[in-house]
Amino acid sequence: MNILEIKNLVKDFGGLRAVDTLSLSIEEGQILGLIGPNGAGKSTAFNCIAGVYPPTGGDIYFAGEKINRSKPWNLCKKGLARTFQIVKPFSSKSVLYNVMVGSFVTTDKTSVAKEKALNVLRLLQFEDKKDERAGNLTIAERKRLEIARALATEPKLLLFDEVMAGLRPAEVDEMVQIIQNLRHQGITIFVIEHIMRAIMALSDRIVVIHFGKKIAEGSPQEVASDENVIKAYLGDEYVVS
Amino acid sequence: MIYILEDAINGVLMGSIYGLTALGLTLIFGVLKVINFAHGSLLMVGMYAAYWAIILTGVHPYVALIIVAPVMYLFGYYLQDIVIKPIFKAEKDVREPITVIIVTTGVWYILDNLTLLIFGPTYRNIQDNPLKGKMLEIGEMFISVPKLWGFVTAVVTAAAVYWFLQKTRMGRAIRATSLDREAASLMGINQFKVYNVAFGIGTATAGIAAVTLVPFYNIFPSVGVLFDIKGFIIVVLGGLGSIGGAILGGIIIGLIESIAPQFMTATWTEAIVYGLFLVVLFVKPSGLFGVKYDW
Amino acid sequence: MTRQNINRFALILVGVVAFGLPLVLRSPTYLHILILLYLYAYLTSSWNLVGGFAGVLPLGHSAFIGIGAYASTILSLQYGISPWIGMIVGGILAAIVGILIGFPTFKMRGAYFALATIAFGEGIRVMVENVDNLGPLKINGPRGLQIPPTNIGFGNYMFAGKEPYYYIILVMLLGILAITYFISRSKLGYYLNAGGEEPEAAMALGVNVARAKLIAMAMSSFFTALAGTFYAQFTLYIHPKSVISLDFSFEIAFIALIGGRGSIAGPVLGALLLRPVSDFSRIYFGSTLPGLHLIIFGTVLILVMIFQPRGLQEPLTRAYNRLLDKIFGGTEQKEITHEYS
Repeated sequence: MNILEIKNLVKDFGGLRAVDTLSLSIEEGQILGLIGPNGAGKSTAFNCIAGVYPPTGGDIYFAGEKINRSKPWNLCKKGLARTFQIVKPFSSKSVLYNVMVGSFVTTDKTSVAKEKALNVLRLLQFEDKKDERAGNLTIAERKRLEIARALATEPKLLLFDEVMAGLRPAEVDEMVQIIQNLRHQGITIFVIEHIMRAIMALSDRIVVIHFGKKIAEGSPQEVASDENVIKAYLGDEYVVS
Repeated sequence: MIYILEDAINGVLMGSIYGLTALGLTLIFGVLKVINFAHGSLLMVGMYAAYWAIILTGVHPYVALIIVAPVMYLFGYYLQDIVIKPIFKAEKDVREPITVIIVTTGVWYILDNLTLLIFGPTYRNIQDNPLKGKMLEIGEMFISVPKLWGFVTAVVTAAAVYWFLQKTRMGRAIRATSLDREAASLMGINQFKVYNVAFGIGTATAGIAAVTLVPFYNIFPSVGVLFDIKGFIIVVLGGLGSIGGAILGGIIIGLIESIAPQFMTATWTEAIVYGLFLVVLFVKPSGLFGVKYDW
Repeated sequence: MTRQNINRFALILVGVVAFGLPLVLRSPTYLHILILLYLYAYLTSSWNLVGGFAGVLPLGHSAFIGIGAYASTILSLQYGISPWIGMIVGGILAAIVGILIGFPTFKMRGAYFALATIAFGEGIRVMVENVDNLGPLKINGPRGLQIPPTNIGFGNYMFAGKEPYYYIILVMLLGILAITYFISRSKLGYYLNAGGEEPEAAMALGVNVARAKLIAMAMSSFFTALAGTFYAQFTLYIHPKSVISLDFSFEIAFIALIGGRGSIAGPVLGALLLRPVSDFSRIYFGSTLPGLHLIIFGTVLILVMIFQPRGLQEPLTRAYNRLLDKIFGGTEQKEITHEYS
């Protein structure tokens, strides 16, 4: 079953078409990668799915339900969580506090929320930092906090917007490990990523977009050898035919 | 009918002076993204400066500009440099510097009450000045001469500030900073120097407004509060950050204040002004004319 | 004695002192000063529900004081309804107005929000000043309303001495502090803090930020209005410039910011520090140095904002914890750290 289905999604900003008739779908339990050069419209597509921007055209279905104009908080309650490319921690609060905000989605009780948050932190091997102020964390830790918060909402589908950008190679490997663990728990994952090594290792399927349009789709190997993809990334003159 | 026309003309004249008092407010907001709650107090300081300059030297009120404008420029420059800058440095990442608003409120309280301590609550005015009570007679209409001078000064000042921002090196640096302070500082613009200058110019325009007011307006320690609230209303009506909007917003307030009393109790006009303010804030926060940065 | 016991003991000690004070302190002047201190601590705590937790800067809260004061006073003067009931009516009215004003304003950015609330407060004052009769209700414009001190008794919220007022406002203060404590540890508290700090992230985590803020605003205006009734019954005379003044609104915000907004202790701390300055400088220098206390306010405010932007509660809490560390040795894991920060 497709947990997320996008049909002919269009998003305009003034005269600029950021996403152009994009269609894609994710099967439950899969990891789908979304790649494309800078400014290709990846984050815009994400923001449409997550309810930040209302789409100009097209339809978005989540678990069979049309969610075109749903608000972000309602989507979160339905099981669709996301992280931000530019991390947005509640800086003056502790790590535990940050994660608890997420876990309140499924409970009204503070004690339950705290228990759930601690579980998430344990799962991400992040428990030792629970009393640290979020503003004092390193970049890698902030990215991990983003994931922890999103995870605390107990999502069915997770949208990861460049959770590996700015990480050192060892940290990237660790993050890949984390994401694979999440998939084993049955969470469907949709990632935007620039680090090819990571996305190739992670994804079951990859969608490539360029100027808002889908130019390729398939397994990592198929996409990597696709002529259009190479053109989009490197420019026409690099294509040897 | 002729009375309404007379009121309207006087309203436009007074309104342009209101606009001049709010000019600095809009400029400072445009650059620092901060509503300067002390702006009315700066105007008040300017009025006292002008008052003493005129009383002690006995010159024509507008000659006092030579002293008041530069003194106020320096006052604003160092006020920003010493009091407000530290907050900006402490809260670099904060998008909405609420604490800066609070600090300017502190400055307001200090200035107003220091003035009260030093000069007492007495209402002062400059008795024998050549502009006081002068009227220009046009047909059956009487137009206030000091307000006419104020009108001309307001228009000239607004034009001069506009020209400065467009044509000078510093003006361009100010505009660049107001658009994107990070990008501007990457281009080698000293952000805090720009803030100082913008604050200085804003304060200087308050000084100029003060000079236009003293020939016919009472001077007392809390006079700034009146213009503070009016200033907020004017800049929101005209669009926060817009120089032309400040003058136009001022004229709207001036017109309401002069014409509305023909149709209702005078005290209700204040309520109308607040009502208009709230409606604009809710419906069109970018101001009536939809221009945010016209420079 | 453990660390937790010491905290509990300190709280009980403060409580005993607060309740016992009128037995020792017989001077009406000092009692009056204390009543005002508690009143301001109460008002600031109410303000804190929205101004502290929701991360906005409301500067028109005196409008709610006015709504509470006028509602209960009009009901008791014209209809003989006990001010206790009037107080609740005023509170509900204020909550409705709070939601109505919050609805459009919470979408605004920081500076606009502050301006809108100022205009709202001032607008209400001007209206009251201009209206003598609102339908059957006698508001009496700028002259205000006088409450004749004839029917003394608990049911009429009117007493001969100052002690009953002292205890009423003390209980109100303890009540609002308890409420603040529970909110800060509840889902609503987490949602308000999150929405105030990073609204986008909060929304993505399931927080309906606007709704949380509206709830906070409704509670804040409700509790603020209750203090309006207290003020009316305590002074027995209200007029627009006294209850709906800009100074009132600003002083509440000042106390919160100096004490530390968003914390439970901040408002009390701020009131403890600032109110005596204000009262004593008025008593001793009122005629010779008018406005001295406001100069001190302004200076303290600027210094606190520059050196302790999170208010004085932060260094004081730290000092207190360090003191306990010294007594007990070592740093026990502190449960409360994240709630206070």
